[in-house]
Amino acid sequence: MTNQDILVVLPEIVIALMACFILVLDLYLPATKKKKFGYGLSLVTLMVGAGLSIVYSEPAPVYGLNGLVLMDSLSAILKVGICISTGFVLVYSRGYADARGLWKGEFFALALFGVVGMMVMTASNHLLSLYVGLELLALCLYTMVALRIDSTAASEAAMKYFVLGALASGILLYGMSLLYGLTGTLYINELSASIVRHDGSTLPRTMALILVLVGLLFKIGAVPFHMWVPDVYEGSPTSSTVYLATAPKLAGFAIILRLLADGLGSLATEWQGMLLVVSIISLALGNIIAIAQSNIKRMLAYSAIAHVGFFLLGILTGEVSGYASAMAYILIYAVVTLGAFGVILALSSKGVEADLIEDYSGLNQSHPWAAFIMLLLMFSLAGIPPTIGFYAKLSVLQAVVNAGMTWVAVVAVVLSVIGAFYYLRIVKVMYFDDLATSHPGLQFRPKQDARILLTINGLAVVVLMPWIGKLTTLCEGAIEVLF
Amino acid sequence: MKVIYLLVPLACLVAAIIAGFWGAKIGNSATHRITITGVGLSFVLSVVVLFDVLDGHSFNGSIYTWGTSGGVSFEVGFLIDHLSAVMMAVVTFVSLMVHIYTIGYMRDDPGYTRFFCYIALFTFAMLMLVMANNFLQLFFGWEAVGLVSYLLIGFWFKRESAVAANLKAFLVNRVGDLGFILGIAAVMYLFGTLDYSAVFSAASEKQNAVVTGVLGYEWSWITLICLLLFVGAMGKSAQVPLHVWLPDSMEGPTPISALIHAATMVTAGIFLVARMSPLFELSTTASSVILVIGGLTALSMALVGLVQNDIKRVVAYSTLSQLGYMTVALGASAYSVAIFHLATHAFFKALLFLAAGSVIIALHHEQDMRRMGGLRRYMPITYITSVIGSLALAGIPPFSGFFSKDAIIEAVHHSNIPGAGLAYAAVLMGVVVTAFYSFRLIFMVFHGEPRMDKQARSHLKESPWVVTVPLVLLAIPSLLSGGFLVESVLGGHFLGDAVAQGPSAGEGDHLTAVGLMTHGFLAAPLWLALGGVFLAWIFYVRVPSLPGNVSQRLSLIYRILHRKYGFDQFYQWLFASGGVRLGEWLWKRADIALIDGFAVNGTANMVGWFSRVLKRLQTGYVYHYAFVMIIGVVVFLSWGLWS
Amino acid sequence: MESILFYLFATVLVVSAAMVVTIRNPVKAALFLVLSFFSAACIWMTLEAEFLSIALVLVYVGAVMVLFLFVVMMLDIDVESMREGFARNLPVGALVAGVMVVEFAVVMMSDRFDSQSLPRPAGHGPDYSNTKELGLVLYTDYVFAFEVAGLILLVAIVAAIVLTMRRRPNTRYQSPSEQVKVNKSERLRIVSMPAEKRLDIDN
Repeated sequence: MTNQDILVVLPEIVIALMACFILVLDLYLPATKKKKFGYGLSLVTLMVGAGLSIVYSEPAPVYGLNGLVLMDSLSAILKVGICISTGFVLVYSRGYADARGLWKGEFFALALFGVVGMMVMTASNHLLSLYVGLELLALCLYTMVALRIDSTAASEAAMKYFVLGALASGILLYGMSLLYGLTGTLYINELSASIVRHDGSTLPRTMALILVLVGLLFKIGAVPFHMWVPDVYEGSPTSSTVYLATAPKLAGFAIILRLLADGLGSLATEWQGMLLVVSIISLALGNIIAIAQSNIKRMLAYSAIAHVGFFLLGILTGEVSGYASAMAYILIYAVVTLGAFGVILALSSKGVEADLIEDYSGLNQSHPWAAFIMLLLMFSLAGIPPTIGFYAKLSVLQAVVNAGMTWVAVVAVVLSVIGAFYYLRIVKVMYFDDLATSHPGLQFRPKQDARILLTINGLAVVVLMPWIGKLTTLCEGAIEVLF
Repeated sequence: MKVIYLLVPLACLVAAIIAGFWGAKIGNSATHRITITGVGLSFVLSVVVLFDVLDGHSFNGSIYTWGTSGGVSFEVGFLIDHLSAVMMAVVTFVSLMVHIYTIGYMRDDPGYTRFFCYIALFTFAMLMLVMANNFLQLFFGWEAVGLVSYLLIGFWFKRESAVAANLKAFLVNRVGDLGFILGIAAVMYLFGTLDYSAVFSAASEKQNAVVTGVLGYEWSWITLICLLLFVGAMGKSAQVPLHVWLPDSMEGPTPISALIHAATMVTAGIFLVARMSPLFELSTTASSVILVIGGLTALSMALVGLVQNDIKRVVAYSTLSQLGYMTVALGASAYSVAIFHLATHAFFKALLFLAAGSVIIALHHEQDMRRMGGLRRYMPITYITSVIGSLALAGIPPFSGFFSKDAIIEAVHHSNIPGAGLAYAAVLMGVVVTAFYSFRLIFMVFHGEPRMDKQARSHLKESPWVVTVPLVLLAIPSLLSGGFLVESVLGGHFLGDAVAQGPSAGEGDHLTAVGLMTHGFLAAPLWLALGGVFLAWIFYVRVPSLPGNVSQRLSLIYRILHRKYGFDQFYQWLFASGGVRLGEWLWKRADIALIDGFAVNGTANMVGWFSRVLKRLQTGYVYHYAFVMIIGVVVFLSWGLWS
Repeated sequence: MESILFYLFATVLVVSAAMVVTIRNPVKAALFLVLSFFSAACIWMTLEAEFLSIALVLVYVGAVMVLFLFVVMMLDIDVESMREGFARNLPVGALVAGVMVVEFAVVMMSDRFDSQSLPRPAGHGPDYSNTKELGLVLYTDYVFAFEVAGLILLVAIVAAIVLTMRRRPNTRYQSPSEQVKVNKSERLRIVSMPAEKRLDIDN
């Protein structure tokens, strides 16, 4: 084992060690200091993790630990994104989780272990490391969903997530084992060449591809493997929902890119058709069902399904510009979704869950700033200019059109327009409906740090617009070196 | 020099911005000081540029590249040659006069700073228009002056008639602008560039390019472009039948009528055609159309001017008629003559408008000439300057109008393209009519018995110096500019090589101002003009009862003229109420029934229904979910293994 | 000989797995699951994967399934209600399962998996230790995956604790040491009270 081996996984090692440390610390600190120290240490850890990911990043892939993991700018960008968004999650959920007794050492440890899992996923060059990363994340997520043990909805959601996740893992493993049988290698960067090397029937490799694809699609929640998404988003405590709705999407992008675009790139013609179907039905189903929702978390779940469909459009072009646009899309989506859940968290006080859309009626009258932030975020999710969400959609559509699939772009636009309805309904409810009188009304009382971050987050979707082209350049640069 | 070019429009823009954003804060007098300084600077620099150009320096280049798309770059650039230098000087001079005059005219208006912002902005836009070296910037200036014109016509936006008038101006200009932008698009399509010089140099090779239009009729591209651009010019320069907005635009404050609707903006169309002269030279068809339209406008609008009683409207119709003269000159390929008339007209027409404004202030916003009379005793400066303006307008030597108008008539006389005969007849008759209505105005306003009420008469006095100084300053070029410039115009070096030289650019034998005047006494136009003046004297001074009798005798003609040939009513019927009816039909049938009922609400309802049905799929049973996943796997496997 | 064993164990495996799903009694179903694990372990044994085979028996049969049996027997599961709709869903389920089986069969019987494409690896001598080989790669080549797997187990422990351990402030515990330590003054208080007046209801 050389220095380089350590450097490649240094952020993971640091975060894992710190997570253990926080767990142990939790035992010995007095109850009053527990929360403060755990919170502060977690944030510092995430910052250090992000910093290390940047400091030791290399533009071209550098392999380490017998080739199980690699380090390139793609993984560096995504690792930083994962760390930062998890940091946002911690800041946003503090008030919420504290009021519900969830703000304890295990929460931080699970979040950090999940971050390690995601980092392993983004950095894996081996089916085995990819799978263990996936499972590490999954286990953390299951637990975080169930964290509120007095809530039957949370337990139910966790149970469903767990059972279905196990099923998907089985399917994924089956596909991986077929891949190994066909190619004799588990290294992702060797898969592409060796899977087309042999002559003979192509059926086995198609089956392997499909099974792997299904496993991946489940993880990001694409139709028809999306059934867990709404129940889990709704059932889990919002502090966990915001976690599982953002950072794992980045890791999901990474494994899709590594496994499909890189590892199975030689079979692109086969998976493109399937991704096309999946993304269009995801867009359709997500956008249409979201309209009928009365729970904002559930609505955002369907919106997540639709957004996954949209970012898959970028992947299925099979070109660098398409991958880059998908990456920019998912990063922007993570930022905007963080903000949206941040507002929900800030509006939920002790004993009040701000999760029904009707709760938001007349929010502009009682809390204009919260309503305004929410408006910006909803506009961005709907893809209305001049928000970065518009840019995200635009760049994906551009890639799709450049790939010669104009009709797909047209369908995507039509479905997005349908989707704009439910985002704008939130805006309508907040701005044009009267204050709800039937219930006590929402209180916008985030902690000071959450308030500052939320303001930055909300304004960023507009203010960042002039520099958003840099993001695409960054993504393109990161992906170009892989192909 | 580049800096100076840049400073000319920017001085106005900066002044406009300051007046617009901080006008209320810095107060009225600071505002007018700033804008006048800006425009004054522009004027001085324009004169510098003019002399520089006369020295033989010209400039054509881009200042800033806005963007490049598909090999076409969109630039901000200047083309400074004789044509644009003359236009710059005229625009900034008249604008400066109007700025000064406005101090007196608008003194108590609550929109004082807004007004200064608008006129400075207008000057900027107009300068951008004339200095452009490409069609895009031309279009920018074109639309910007249109916008400011719209804003200024409706300056008193609480007056319903002003709002109606600015709407009308806006809509009619839209028709012209449609042609204009189609013309630019055609240029873009044919030449692949928007740069003037590139287009002009490529024009002759494309002369024979044809486009097959409807019914298989083949159009020459150049003719098509010229006609489309001319439609734009017709809108802006108020040629029949797109002239209807200009008389109504007199709802705006009088300085505006002088600046925008007499001296500068309305001549943008003339400028456009002169600027595009290398293109128009290639199309006899287009020149012919221009000639006929110009002739029609010149005569018919002059005739309407005969029966108007509103002092500003008389001047407005005379503007229309004079624009017709310029257009005729363009049609006869005498581009430099057209610009010559444009310049002289700018001076004397601005003078007449400002004089009319002076009268209007003196009479406390009374505009009806039937309630004026005998004012020369009270307002000597206004009277004298008005007479100078009217003599120039009527074309009496040695006033400037004589030279320019005579040159036009000569040019038409020598033109032999189809329609030239008609146009020649029209402009000759127009001379009589012009002389008649301009002196009708002088006699009705300044001579005869005072017809205003006592109270108004008791307040009569000459306007303040800020009003009269511009009058005097404008009277000087009205008097002198014609004789001063005519030699270079007829010698063919007035605009240098900025415009194409037509085949009929004057004769060789009487090329000096004096020669022209002596020649004038032997030619019809002067005598016709003098006859017109004499007739006006008989009608309104000698036998004041005559007008009533004549109008009764010729009641049919009088009524036709009074109704301005029914253009307004026709447009009202066809476009306005027809449009309303069509709109109503479309609204009820298409919008409410089809789009709202079926397409929008229908789709929305369907999506909602769909949504509720699909929502049921989410049963909440984990084995259902798992089953859906398995089915997904099976479907994908079947598909993948099948194909 | 080996193929006979394979077919034997494979048949047992498939049949017992089918029984797990179809049999009514949950205890029996769990036992059939044990049998199917055991059969699988035997098949692995024939493939010279001795360590995995033993691990399967030890971990799943020995630990997981026993725990599972305990749970099944402790819970009173209403079998009938769970099987409700079984007949109704059977056709669809059978159809999907059938299609799946056919598809897998088609794939597995393709020429990529015949004995020519994937020849049987050469057997090892009697001194070959499967466990040692596994240990070697696990702690060298795959140490990263192994460590992450360790993290997974750690998370599993944390998860199990955090999801099951409940601090109930209202629950009353008995603390013998506390009970022993008390003395009279802590528990007994003597208060003097005036005598109650007798309430006379009749008044």
